[in-house]
Amino acid sequence: MSESATPQNFDLEVNGISYPISADQGKNLLSVIREDVGLTGTKEGCDDCECGACMVLLDGQPVNSCSYLAVQAQGRTVTTIEGVMQGEEMHALQRNLLDEGGVQCGFCTPGMIMSAHALLDRNSNPTPEDVKIGLSGNLCRCTGYAKILAAVEKTAAE
Amino acid sequence: MSLNEAPKFVRADGPDKVTGSGRYTADMNMTGQLVAKFRYADVAHARVTKIDVSAAKATPGVLAVLTAADVPDLRYSPVVPDRTLFVKDVVRFEGEIVAAVAAVNAATAQAAVDSIVFEYDGLPVVTDLEAALADGSPIVHEGWESYGVSGDTVQRPNVASFSSIEKGDIRAGLAAADHVITSRYVADASHALPIEPRAVLAQWEGNKVTIWTSTQVPFDARNGVCETLQMPSSRVRIIVPHLGGGFGGKCGFHFEAHIAALARASKRPVKLVFSRREEFLAPDRRREGMIVDITTGVTNDGTITAREGWIAIDNGAYTADAAFFPQLAAMHVAGPYVSPNVFVESSLVYTNHQPSGSVRAPTAPQACWALESHTDEIARTIGMDPVDFRRKNTVDEGLEGPAAQVYGEIGLRRCLETAVANSAYGSQLPENEAVGVAVGWWPSFPGPSGAYIKVDADGSGQIITGAQECGTGSVMTLRYLAAEELGMEPEDFELVYQDTSAAPYDTGATGSQTLLNNGRAVIEGAREVAAQLRDVAADQLEAAAGDIVLADGFAHVSGSPDRNVSIVELAGIAAEGEMLIGKGSGTPPDYPTVSATCVGDQGVAGWAGPQFSCHAVRVRLDRDTGVVRVLEISAAHDSGTIINPIAAHGQVEGGITMGIGQALSEGTVYGDDAKQRNAGLLEYKLQTAADAPLVTTEFIEIPDPNAGPRGAKGLAEAPNVPTAAAIANAVAQLIGEPVRQLPMTPERVWAVSEGSSS
Amino acid sequence: MSFTIAATVEEAVEAMANGARPIAGGTDLVVGARHGKSALPDDLVAIDRLAELAEIGPGPGGHRVGALVTHAQLMIDPFIVENYTALADAAALVGSPSTRNVGTLGGNVMNASPAMDTGAPLLVFGATARVAGPGGERTVPLDELWTGPGTTSAAANELLIALNLPMPSDRCGSAYVRLEYRRAMEIAVVGAAAGVTLAEDGTVASASVALSAVAPTIVAVAGTDALNGLALADAAATAAELASDQASPISDLRASDSYRRHCVGVMAKRAVDAACRRAAGESISVPVNRALGIGAA
Repeated sequence: MSESATPQNFDLEVNGISYPISADQGKNLLSVIREDVGLTGTKEGCDDCECGACMVLLDGQPVNSCSYLAVQAQGRTVTTIEGVMQGEEMHALQRNLLDEGGVQCGFCTPGMIMSAHALLDRNSNPTPEDVKIGLSGNLCRCTGYAKILAAVEKTAAE
Repeated sequence: MSLNEAPKFVRADGPDKVTGSGRYTADMNMTGQLVAKFRYADVAHARVTKIDVSAAKATPGVLAVLTAADVPDLRYSPVVPDRTLFVKDVVRFEGEIVAAVAAVNAATAQAAVDSIVFEYDGLPVVTDLEAALADGSPIVHEGWESYGVSGDTVQRPNVASFSSIEKGDIRAGLAAADHVITSRYVADASHALPIEPRAVLAQWEGNKVTIWTSTQVPFDARNGVCETLQMPSSRVRIIVPHLGGGFGGKCGFHFEAHIAALARASKRPVKLVFSRREEFLAPDRRREGMIVDITTGVTNDGTITAREGWIAIDNGAYTADAAFFPQLAAMHVAGPYVSPNVFVESSLVYTNHQPSGSVRAPTAPQACWALESHTDEIARTIGMDPVDFRRKNTVDEGLEGPAAQVYGEIGLRRCLETAVANSAYGSQLPENEAVGVAVGWWPSFPGPSGAYIKVDADGSGQIITGAQECGTGSVMTLRYLAAEELGMEPEDFELVYQDTSAAPYDTGATGSQTLLNNGRAVIEGAREVAAQLRDVAADQLEAAAGDIVLADGFAHVSGSPDRNVSIVELAGIAAEGEMLIGKGSGTPPDYPTVSATCVGDQGVAGWAGPQFSCHAVRVRLDRDTGVVRVLEISAAHDSGTIINPIAAHGQVEGGITMGIGQALSEGTVYGDDAKQRNAGLLEYKLQTAADAPLVTTEFIEIPDPNAGPRGAKGLAEAPNVPTAAAIANAVAQLIGEPVRQLPMTPERVWAVSEGSSS
Repeated sequence: MSFTIAATVEEAVEAMANGARPIAGGTDLVVGARHGKSALPDDLVAIDRLAELAEIGPGPGGHRVGALVTHAQLMIDPFIVENYTALADAAALVGSPSTRNVGTLGGNVMNASPAMDTGAPLLVFGATARVAGPGGERTVPLDELWTGPGTTSAAANELLIALNLPMPSDRCGSAYVRLEYRRAMEIAVVGAAAGVTLAEDGTVASASVALSAVAPTIVAVAGTDALNGLALADAAATAAELASDQASPISDLRASDSYRRHCVGVMAKRAVDAACRRAAGESISVPVNRALGIGAA
C-alpha cells in the first residue's frame, strides 16, 4: 500500500523559499503545497485538470498542480498565489480584479491570477481573444468571465 | 446609472481572495483531525439485505464507523419529511450514504469504506416521469401516506407535491380562440456546480459541537443537525469560512450531522472534503429535469384567450426543499402574460434519480425556456412578430397575472424594449445568425432577518449579521448601508458573519434575499446606533437630539455645521457609559394574496417584489454540425433599485453564462440504471472564458415600495431565467423549428435541422 | 517503489528495462491513476529533463520532433507552423494553456487515445516513431505503433524518443480540424487532418486524410487518390464522402455513431478545404478551428 511506501525526500522551492519535503512519490504537487509546505491559497476544484483552481507556475509556466507529481518539481521553481504580492503591494492583476469586480466567491481567483500572470509574462500586449484563450483552462461559475477578462486587459494596458 | 459612473464598491473580503490568504472550509485543519469518507449505495433502487461494518471497525487507524443504527431513527426534510441520514431498508438513489468512516488518513478511511459489506436485492428503477405517474408503476416511497407532510401539501402515488393554478374557464377560453397551439418541451437535469467542492469540519468540546462547513444557509444547517441528532440549537454552532460559491447547490442541510456524529463517536475533530465526483452524485440539490406540455389559445389579432399547462418535475428520490417547485413551475409556465383563463397542473414526481433542490431560480429557466419557445411558436403560427406579441400580452401596471395578482408599476415592457433596442434584432444578419428574444420573471422572498451593529471606543464598528456571503457581494454591500445611516465610511466597519452563535437568524444565501431582508435589518440596527450617537452629541453640543445630523464622520447641529463633534470622540464618550449597540430586524414586506384557485398551495403564487427581465441573444449556427455559439447578449432587468452596481452587473453576467451552459452544454445523462453517466467536468461541460459572449446590461430601476431597502428587489437568480429561452428562439429561427430538448446540444440541433430540411 | 530522474536516454532505457515507467508531464498517468483507470506505476523514471528530446530540428529524410516537445512549443514553432501546419493546428487545440504547456507530443502518441489531436496530422505527414530499447533504436510507422485504444506495439522497455517527419513538398499545405462543443478544454468528438499537394493548375496532385475518434485508433482514409486532379470544392466533397464511409464510430456520451459519421465527413471536408487554400498560399492562422470561425466569435 502506498501508505507504507518509502517516502521521497527532496527540496522544493516555492515562492523563493526552499522546503525539505518527505512525501510519497505518488503525491501530487497540489497536496504537497497545501499540506507539506502549508500554503492553502492554491485550491482543489476537480482533481482532474478540468477547472484550473490548482494552477501554479512551474519555472514560470502554468501547471495544473493536481495532476503533476511533486517529486517532479524538485530542482524547479514553483510560484503560488502567495508569491504574487510584490512586498506589501498587490500585483496589478490583484488590484484590477478587485477594482473591476472580477472576484465573487474567490475560489477560482488564485488559479485565474496564476494563468493571467503566465499569459502576461509571455505576451505583454494580448488581444481580447488572447486573454480569453489564456484563461480558458480556469473555470469560473460566478462572474461569467466578463469582469475577469476586463481586469486582465486593463493590467496589460497599464 | 451606467457602471462607469457608479461608485466603486470594492469587496471587504477581496484582499483575502486575491492574495490566497482567505480560508475556505477545506483549508481549515485541527490537531488530531480525522478524515471522513462515505460508503455510497452505488445502486439506485434496492432493498437492503446486509450491512456489515465489522471489518471496517477492525481496521487499524479507524476510529469511528457509523450506520443508520448509530443515529436517531427519524425522517427529516422541510414539508415532506422523507429522508434519513443513512440508508435504512431501501436505497432510492445511487448517492445515498450506507455508512460513514473516520480514520487517521484518507487511504485508511478509503480502505475501511471498501471493506464494508453491503448486500441488497435490486428493485426496478423509476426514471421516466410519465411512467412513474402511470398505474402500476413501482413506488419509490412505499408508505408515503404516513410521512406526515405539512401545510396544504397534496400528494399522490409517486407525487411528492402537487399544485394547480386555476382562473376563469379554461374550456371556454380555448373555445373562444382562433388558434390553439400545443407544445411539449423536455429539459434534462443539471447541476449548480460551484467551483469549491463542499467540505465540513466538526469538533466537540464537552456537549457542544462547532461545525465549519461550506453551506449557503448556516441556520438551516444548524437546524438540520439539531433535528437529526436531537440537540438544542444552543449546543450547535455553525461557522462558514469563505464560501466558494453555491448557486443553490449548497443550500439545505448536507452532511453536517454525519460529520458531527463521527466526531462525537471518535472523540476527534473530523473533516470531510468532497471530490468533484461526489459533488456531482451525493448532494440533494441539482436542477430538476422537467416535462412541460403547454397549450395556448389566441385570437387572430394575437390576444391570448386561455393557457393550459401540464408539468412533471423530476423530484428524484427525496424531496429536499422542492415541495414548492410545482407551484413555482406553474407560475413560470403560465408566465408573465395576461390571460383571462388559466389552468396549470404541476407534479413533483419521485424517481430513483439524485434529489432535486433549489438551484438558482429553481424551475424557472426550464419552464421559461418551454414557455418562451412556445410563445415564438404562437407568433409564427399567427404571423406576428414575436416581440410585438410580447408587447401586446405581457403583464404591466394594473393588469392581472396568471394567479390574479394585480401589479403596481413594473418594468417588464421597458425591459423588453430596452433589451431589443440594444440588440441586433430586426437588422440584417448573416444567414447563419439570428437574434432570439425571451422575457422572464422571478419573485423576491421577504423573510425574517437580523443584525447587530456596534461602534467601539475608537469609532470603528462591527456589523454582526446572520447573512451569508456566497460570492454575490450582498453581505459586502451591508457596510455601505450602515455607513450611510451613521455618517461614517464603509471602511469603518468590519463584517462579522457566518457564525450562528454570534449573529441573529437569517435565511442565508438563498432566494436572492440577503440585501432585501438583511439590508433592512442592518439599516434598522444602524438607526438605533444613530439615535444613541445623537443623544450623546446632543449633550455635547447642547442641542436637541432631533436636530443632530450625522455626516462625514461628524455630528453637527442641523443648519450649523460648525457646531460639531467627531463620531470618534462621541464613540469614546459613549464607551464609558451606555455604549453604541444597535439591533435590527424589521418587519418583512407582505406577500400579496391572490384570488386564483391554488390547489396544493405552497405560498409562491402571490409575489412580493416581482422581478422582470428580457434577454436578446445573438447566436451563430454551424449548420453542418449543429454547433451554436452565443455572440452577444443584451439584457435588461427590473430588480428595483440597484444599490451596488458592480455586483449587480456581475450577477447578470454570471447568471447569463450559467444560462448559456444550461442552454447548450449542461445536462445530466442518466443510464438505464438511473445512475449519472457524466459526473465529471470533462463530460459535463461548463462554459469557459473562451466562450464568453459580449454582455450588455441595463437596469430598469423602478423602486418597489413593498420590497427591500430603497425599493431594491432580489437579483441574483433572475439573470438565470430567460437566457436559455432566448437562445432557443434564435436557434429556432435558424433551423425553422424549436429544439424541444434542453440542453440544445449540437447533435440535438443537428437532428432537428436534418428533420426539418428533409 | 522508486523514482529516478534520468539524465540521459540510456539511463531512462536502463530504468525501463528494470520495470520503471517513463513519465514526462505525467498528466495522463496522474489523472488516470486517480480515476482508477490504472494505478500509478510503482517505479517511475522521469524523462522530462532530457533536453535532447525537447528539440525540433533536421532529422533523417526530413525533420525530427523530440518526444518531449510540448504542445505549447509545437503550436508556435515557426518551422512547424510553416511546414507541418496541421500539427500546429492540433497542438493549439489540446486542452488548456497549462495542459499544452505540460503535455508532450511523445506522451500524446504513446497514450494512443483514438481521440488524440496530434495523431491524425502525424499520420497524414507519414511520420514514423523512433523508439529506443535495450537493443538500440528502431523506427516504427505510426499505423504499426497504434494497435488499439491506449495500446501500442512498443515493448514496455522501449522509450519513444522522437517523431520523424518526411520533408514537405512544394505547393503543399495541411490542416487539422475538429468538432468541439465549446471553444476550449475540449476533447475531439471527431477530427480530421488533411495534407494536400497541388498541381501547377491548382488541382489536387496528391492528398492524404486521417481521422480522430471514429475508430479504435487514429486511421488514415484509404482511396484518397480519388481526390487527384480535382479542384478544391470537389476534392473536399470527395474527402467528406470517403471519411464518412470509412469511419467506424461508436456511440457514447459525447455523440452517437450516426452523428459522428456525419460530422467526420464535415471535418474532412473542412480540413481538405483549408489544406488546399494553405497550399495555394493563403494565410490561415493556427488553429484553423478559430481562424475559420468553427467556433470563433
